[in-house]
Amino acid sequence: MSAGRNSSSGQHGVLAPLAVGALALLGYAPSPLRAQAPAAAKPAPTPRAQAPIDPTGYWVSLITQNWQYRMVVPGRGEYADIPLNDKAKKFADAWSAAADTAAGKACEAYGAAVLMRNPERLHILWQDEQTLRVDTDAGRQTRLLHFGTPASQQSASLQGYSSARWQIDRVVNTFGAPVGRDGSSHYGSLIVHTDHLLPGLLRKNGVPYGADTTVGEIWDLRILSASDQWLTISTKVEDPQYLFQPYVYDSIFQKEPDGSKWSPGACSLTTGL
Amino acid sequence: MKVQSRVMAVLAGIATGLCCVTANAQIDLSGNWVLESTQDAVKYDEGPLTDMFAGIPLNEEGRQAGITYPGDEGQELNRQCQPWPTHYLFMGPWGGRFAAVRDTDGKLAAWVVTSPAYDRLTMTIWMDGHVPPHPLDLHTFAGFNTGRYEGNTLLVTTTQLKDAYLERNGLPSSNQELDKIFFTRHGDEMTMMGVINDPVYLEAPWVLARTLKLLSEGSIVDDPILYCMPAEVLAGFTDGYHSAIELPPREAEQLAFMKTHYNLPLDATLGGARTMYPQFARKLETEYKPPATYCQLYCLPEGHLLPYGPAHIQNR
Repeated sequence: MSAGRNSSSGQHGVLAPLAVGALALLGYAPSPLRAQAPAAAKPAPTPRAQAPIDPTGYWVSLITQNWQYRMVVPGRGEYADIPLNDKAKKFADAWSAAADTAAGKACEAYGAAVLMRNPERLHILWQDEQTLRVDTDAGRQTRLLHFGTPASQQSASLQGYSSARWQIDRVVNTFGAPVGRDGSSHYGSLIVHTDHLLPGLLRKNGVPYGADTTVGEIWDLRILSASDQWLTISTKVEDPQYLFQPYVYDSIFQKEPDGSKWSPGACSLTTGL
Repeated sequence: MKVQSRVMAVLAGIATGLCCVTANAQIDLSGNWVLESTQDAVKYDEGPLTDMFAGIPLNEEGRQAGITYPGDEGQELNRQCQPWPTHYLFMGPWGGRFAAVRDTDGKLAAWVVTSPAYDRLTMTIWMDGHVPPHPLDLHTFAGFNTGRYEGNTLLVTTTQLKDAYLERNGLPSSNQELDKIFFTRHGDEMTMMGVINDPVYLEAPWVLARTLKLLSEGSIVDDPILYCMPAEVLAGFTDGYHSAIELPPREAEQLAFMKTHYNLPLDATLGGARTMYPQFARKLETEYKPPATYCQLYCLPEGHLLPYGPAHIQNR
């Protein structure tokens, strides 16, 4: 079994050997095994072309868990469910929403460590063949999920730098032939790792995260029918400065038919949105 | 004609094979899986707060049942060992042990999911095309579960559940409940999402998600509760297993609980589908202000949350 969000390995491919073996038996061997004239090298498919799932479109968050810490700004001292250490507690106890808003830091609760946790709508689209773009209406933020080789030098930012890869499961039918388009399959998940973050807030009552924070995400598409689709994002936040263990949470988004309910709003430290 | 029919049958079989994922090529879920998500740790451990239904798509029937729930109902003799239904996978502090059951040909016949606690029955997920029982056949707390693979995901359908509780603060669930549960393995982690449909008490599906973590082979939770604990023991079990038991059963006082402690308006805490969506937060902008006093109840996680889930909250 392959590793999860912390792995830097490539495609999942648990069932690939089965597929290859069965295809060989059926005479459908992959091109290297066939006796044929060498063909011009085809360019490798782009991450967009390889995508085993399609997360693009409009999504709305379902706040069915952790409601009282997400839909409203919780009161001072309400730190339950976040494994914060004493240093973080002291920081939060001394924190002031008014002061940070006045200092132009109202978006610090919209950083990549918690952005997918907020009540909001997402618009997900391909910015180019290598980059998946995620816009939020709440706080008007944009995350860029980069496939391929990361750029050599990154500077810290609110959304940090997100490296993405597909976890693709090659599933075969009874005869060993691949199921899905392009000899691949429609099954798989998106694995994202984010770092180079500016310090921010895990909760709008002052619970902080530090500059060394990293975020691991597993994006799964759940489909029951064309009108019943959900995107779940399992998020693991690791912060040696303010957390005594990883903060792990699951966010749920429901697919929307269009962007008619898209409602952009500015960052706020005094409301849930 | 007979030969032609046989040829057609063979071709149909081949076509079926070509369109379907083989039952043998599946992701292995075997092992001991414990809760990794820390969200809602207080709720998983102590139980949900009384009359806090925000984010749950209750209909009026479900809401009234929740409001009128007597906090000491769990102490009734006939309820002291009542297990939770399958949906407790998403609400309890436990994960589960997944074990494969294979037939004589080695084919996967079922997944058996056991809980380290007495209060969630063993769940058998039939993978062999078991014929569903008639709706009027026996209903149990574990329900009737069938599964099929969709790529890297096991999709389970649960029916035939008994009337029970949806939440530990007294919200009900009916024997008409139908659940869809997705399990997806990612190395040593497993993400899961459940869609709970209950036409009797919910006005929309209630969708929940959590993440489990694989424990090393042979290990199990440190503190399994393998037998029923009567209510009088539960009451002295740290600070109360079911928080609602300790609260006064008077409805008015219960209803005021979330307003008193968290300043949350009744319009929100009584739940309903609209409370799940971001636009409801906009409505609350004018109705809610954070409490003026520093947190007094369920404030901090202390000790460890892992590896078996429950937070050891001691600052009540």
